[in-house]
Amino acid sequence: MSAVGDRAGEIVVESCTKRFGSVTAVDDVTLTIPGGEFFSMLGPSGCGKTTTLRMIAGFETPDAGRILLQGGDVTFVPPPKRNVNMVFQAYGLFPHMTVAENIAFGPKIKKVDRSEIATRVADVVRTVQLDGMEDRRPAQLSGGQQQRVALARALVNRPAALLLDEPLGALDLKLRKEMQLELKDLQQRTGTTFVYVTHDQEEAMTMSDRIAVMNHGVVEQLATPRELYQRPASTFVAGFIGVSNLITMRVDRRESGLLTMDLGDGQRILAIDGGGTDAAPTITVRPEWIKLASDHTSERSSLVGGTVVDVVYLGSVTQMIVELATGERLTVHRLNDQVGAVEPRPGDRTTLHWAAEHSFVIGGSETIEVDASDRLTVASPDRGREG
Amino acid sequence: MATVTAPAPMPATPRTRKVRGARRGAFGILFAPVTLLILLFLIPLLVMVQMSIVKFPPNTSSGYTLQHYVDVLTNDLNVHIAWTTMFIGTTAMVIMLAIAIPLAYYMVFKAGKLELFILLSLVLADELAPVVKIYAWQVILGRNGIINFFIPGPPVEWLLYSRFAVIVTLSTTYITYTTIPIYAAMKAIDPVVFESAVDLGAGWWPQTKKILIPLAAPGIFIAMILVYIPMLTDFVTSDIVGGAGSYMMGQRVRDLILQTGDWGSGSALNFIMLALSGVFSLVAFRLARLNRIDT
Repeated sequence: MSAVGDRAGEIVVESCTKRFGSVTAVDDVTLTIPGGEFFSMLGPSGCGKTTTLRMIAGFETPDAGRILLQGGDVTFVPPPKRNVNMVFQAYGLFPHMTVAENIAFGPKIKKVDRSEIATRVADVVRTVQLDGMEDRRPAQLSGGQQQRVALARALVNRPAALLLDEPLGALDLKLRKEMQLELKDLQQRTGTTFVYVTHDQEEAMTMSDRIAVMNHGVVEQLATPRELYQRPASTFVAGFIGVSNLITMRVDRRESGLLTMDLGDGQRILAIDGGGTDAAPTITVRPEWIKLASDHTSERSSLVGGTVVDVVYLGSVTQMIVELATGERLTVHRLNDQVGAVEPRPGDRTTLHWAAEHSFVIGGSETIEVDASDRLTVASPDRGREG
Repeated sequence: MATVTAPAPMPATPRTRKVRGARRGAFGILFAPVTLLILLFLIPLLVMVQMSIVKFPPNTSSGYTLQHYVDVLTNDLNVHIAWTTMFIGTTAMVIMLAIAIPLAYYMVFKAGKLELFILLSLVLADELAPVVKIYAWQVILGRNGIINFFIPGPPVEWLLYSRFAVIVTLSTTYITYTTIPIYAAMKAIDPVVFESAVDLGAGWWPQTKKILIPLAAPGIFIAMILVYIPMLTDFVTSDIVGGAGSYMMGQRVRDLILQTGDWGSGSALNFIMLALSGVFSLVAFRLARLNRIDT
């Protein structure tokens, strides 16, 4: 392999395509992951994220395109010869070996010096906080501990990058949240490139430096969590990352950087003019930006009346579904920061308003299909109660 | 024991009644098989023990002796036959493991839709009457048999009526019992362990040596219990396809009792083999248990 230099830990996926029979799992995907980044691939099942990861690991060979690792072409290099390691969702721990033996497996295979192995194992055991567990078998460990063994077993090889395939999928919610923070912390301490595959948008948002949102084998958007949330590039991304209201607009006027749809009686919907010429663009607004009642509205605010059709108390927020005169339904989140605040009830008339800056035109007409197992929040406001 | 609760129709003192009812139920269920086992297994065994220690000719005043055991153990012929039997049995066992381990691996991890077909073939092959199978080998290995038909030159003589023939025939007779326990043990292995081994740099040999064999070990030991002992006591195979060099322990016992009429030596020899089989089973069973992985 060529000189590593400043490309340490860098992974490049270059126009990779992978087909299984007639199904194109990955369709001309290009990603550049700089060394030391926490990079996530996010998407529903079958979107091609795991296949992409497996191509980086070497378990799949792309039908077209190249995989570069630290500047060297590894497209046809078998997994044992690649300087990356994978953490599997099912862990794949060796049940007949102790924790220490599991961790030492890789270095032993690679004929690393005995004393060196001992030092490395001790180091990595401390890193993942498994002190005192060295002589246990995997079956004697909790799910979280098994997860740590899987991490340690990969990290002990000092890989250029760690590839994680939904590693927290088997854990319960509380443990998963703890492990998310631990993983992020581990990644920062080791400085290793992490490539993380998940279908859980919250998980990806919590840990990642950048996220590639994938769907049907293509990258819909590659951006930081903040950009993904605030400026989703497509309706798919808008729906996948958090809850989003999608409104089909009728452009009545374009002036001073705003698109305006007049609804009569002083009501209107405004959106930032992105420069497109579409007469009926789809715009998005996040539920938390929409306010109830009509105090402090400005000229640069959307203002619409509607009827509350559903109210769901979610703890920190109350979610309301409001039906507009046009028949469109919007999801509205109101922060529960006041004790004894009056809750609207279904059937109440209300007025909604939000600043024009929070609505913008997005491309892509595809709506997201979500199966219940994916624990996702949905774009369509029609889905009142979640879960 | 008493975890099975049988319905107690008259709950006068409900607790004790339930437990007693359950015990009676368990006893009732086990009564028939236990009785059969005693009648068909234990009584002949006791007769054999009796025969092995009674002075001949056996009558009411003949008394007991350990002379039969001394005779059997000091007879050079017996020792020679024991070695032959061990050699044939062990060679066949090794051959079967060499076939069964890759075959079971293929069935579990690679065969896909073929898995059921192979499994059924194995079972069906075993359903065939053993004697028919052994005679089939006569046809294959004989002087004018299938193999010699394809080999140019004069017929190869050692194919039939030889140790070779016995080893080959035994290996095919017991392949089902060797493969299925190993197959069952491998069925419990999560295939992702192989993928993670590959990811950690292991080629096929380290995978086999460090992952596959240790995880399949319980099945391998069970297969050895199931197969090794019947092979050591087999006499039909060697009768039909064996020769002078393949005279086995099963034949020796049979001949001592049925042809020579030496019940004392025959029974003593038989009892020694039974005891050794017991020890072998215990050791193999312990090893299988020690290697069992709780997941």
